[in-house]
Amino acid sequence: MNPFDLPGPEFLLFFIGLSSLSIVALVVTRKIAERSAAPKLDLSDPYLIAYLRGSEPETLRVAAVSLIDRGLLVATGTQLKAAEKASPEAVRHPIEKELLRKFKRAGEASSIFDDSRLKATCKPYEETLKNVGLLPNKEIVRARWTRLYIACGVFGGAAFLKIMIALERGRTNVWFLIILTVIALIVAAKISFPRLTESGKAMLADLQNLYAGLKDRAPFLRPGGATIEPMMLAAVFGVAALQGSDFAFTHTLFPRAKEADKWSTWSSVSTGCGSSCGSSSSCGSSCGGGCGGGCGGCGG
Amino acid sequence: MVVEDEVSADRFGLGWRPRLAAGILANLDRIDIVEVIADDYFRAPRHERRALQTLAAQTPVTLHGVSLGLASAMPVETRRLEDIARLCEEVKPEFWSEHLAFVRGGGIEIGHLAAPPRTEATIEGALVNLARAKQIVGVAPQVENVATLIDPPGSDRDEAAWLSAIIRNSESKLLLDLHNLHANATNFNFNPCEFVARIPVERISTVHLAGGKWIGGNGAQRLLDDHLHDVPDPVYELLEEVAARAPQPLTVILERDGNFPSIESLLTQLDRARQAVTRGRARTLEEAA
Repeated sequence: MNPFDLPGPEFLLFFIGLSSLSIVALVVTRKIAERSAAPKLDLSDPYLIAYLRGSEPETLRVAAVSLIDRGLLVATGTQLKAAEKASPEAVRHPIEKELLRKFKRAGEASSIFDDSRLKATCKPYEETLKNVGLLPNKEIVRARWTRLYIACGVFGGAAFLKIMIALERGRTNVWFLIILTVIALIVAAKISFPRLTESGKAMLADLQNLYAGLKDRAPFLRPGGATIEPMMLAAVFGVAALQGSDFAFTHTLFPRAKEADKWSTWSSVSTGCGSSCGSSSSCGSSCGGGCGGGCGGCGG
Repeated sequence: MVVEDEVSADRFGLGWRPRLAAGILANLDRIDIVEVIADDYFRAPRHERRALQTLAAQTPVTLHGVSLGLASAMPVETRRLEDIARLCEEVKPEFWSEHLAFVRGGGIEIGHLAAPPRTEATIEGALVNLARAKQIVGVAPQVENVATLIDPPGSDRDEAAWLSAIIRNSESKLLLDLHNLHANATNFNFNPCEFVARIPVERISTVHLAGGKWIGGNGAQRLLDDHLHDVPDPVYELLEEVAARAPQPLTVILERDGNFPSIESLLTQLDRARQAVTRGRARTLEEAA
């Protein structure tokens, strides 16, 4: 059976099937091609993790919150201003230096997202993540384009051929096929270029998994830069994950972050791992008598 | 397959606990190795096991089992060994370890790492179990001495003799838990340094450090190894003694299961362990000179 001899409605069904299959193949081949073992990253840098999760906006949000938490930036409503004592030279990180320079005079917190100098300070993170294949580098982008061309060639070619045959036979009712082809092309292009590679997605999910215990303790994290924990929480799960009155300013400063992060929270992984001993109070207090078998080795 | 590297220097690490994750991952420049409780991952969903692989990509990881019950006349169940084999295959730890304890009998889980009677029968049982473990997992586990609050009834030898017999007759290296040793020495009134002198120190590969507390009263006080307190001074002194006697590189792991202090406090304890090992090594050099 030659599908190009099928009557219009039946060919449309055939075309929908073919383009759907092409798009599924596009996704599957991309996922397989972009999957690799987790690379070694500097996990002591919350800004690198924040960049992986949400590019410049997330990195800048986390950096701003970090400076506020350490008393170097002062938040008043939706405005930020460098604290009296804060000097760009007093901090080491280029992002933090630039933020302190920017807010020497008070300004809207949301202006950080449009500041090209601030964005430039995030560039090294983009390079690092591209180098290890967590963000698409040149080769990955080229491979994505190749796969897209092939997929579009398959269903686009079929549509083109059918249109030529129809026109040759004097039929001009091809508009629906053209519309379907355009829709399929848009969908194929859209799903071909996610921000993260498959390895990048896996790395982020793994980090969220490893830090799940931290998320459980969000209400009890100490503010004031005493530990790195609040910033790691913000980096891995978003500033919206910071809880308690000490971090209430994040909701006023970055209301959109809250909404965005709700989605990432929904999709984050469960917290069911870890030492049953460490997390169980009954175990923790009576390890010798009650938890040897399933515990982190009390008595052992 | 397990990758057991030839370690060239002393290493100092922490037991992985989700509660400590941020502190550990943010301080990998001060932490050489991380020990993960293997049993937490046997039935874990795929994404959690993959996260463990990602952790292993960031820092050397060892897997520590708590439920095999190697020191028993009963054979270890094959499925338990297959669990650890599968996890080793996925995570590729530097090595894996288990306790020389019994944890079940007659189908009943006792929920505790109990010290078995120190007899020829339990030595033979442990050797058979260790051989099976090596056969199924591919690499023999390092084996750890356990703490006990009672002197195991029915024993016909002391702990040093029992432990030495197992180490000398198996391919396993020794994971010497110094707080367990300190607790047993305190509770049963023997000299832990003499204990160290009697065991094959050249087979010590890993050292565990932990803390505990006193329990009981009215003349029946016992030191309990609970992993909820800081490492006490006598344990550092024992570490120095071990480092002085054992010339090979040691992997020192600090275990903490609850009542967590700040990561800085744990890192300070690791620094103290580093200093103790350095002192021990220096002693050896002085004696040689």
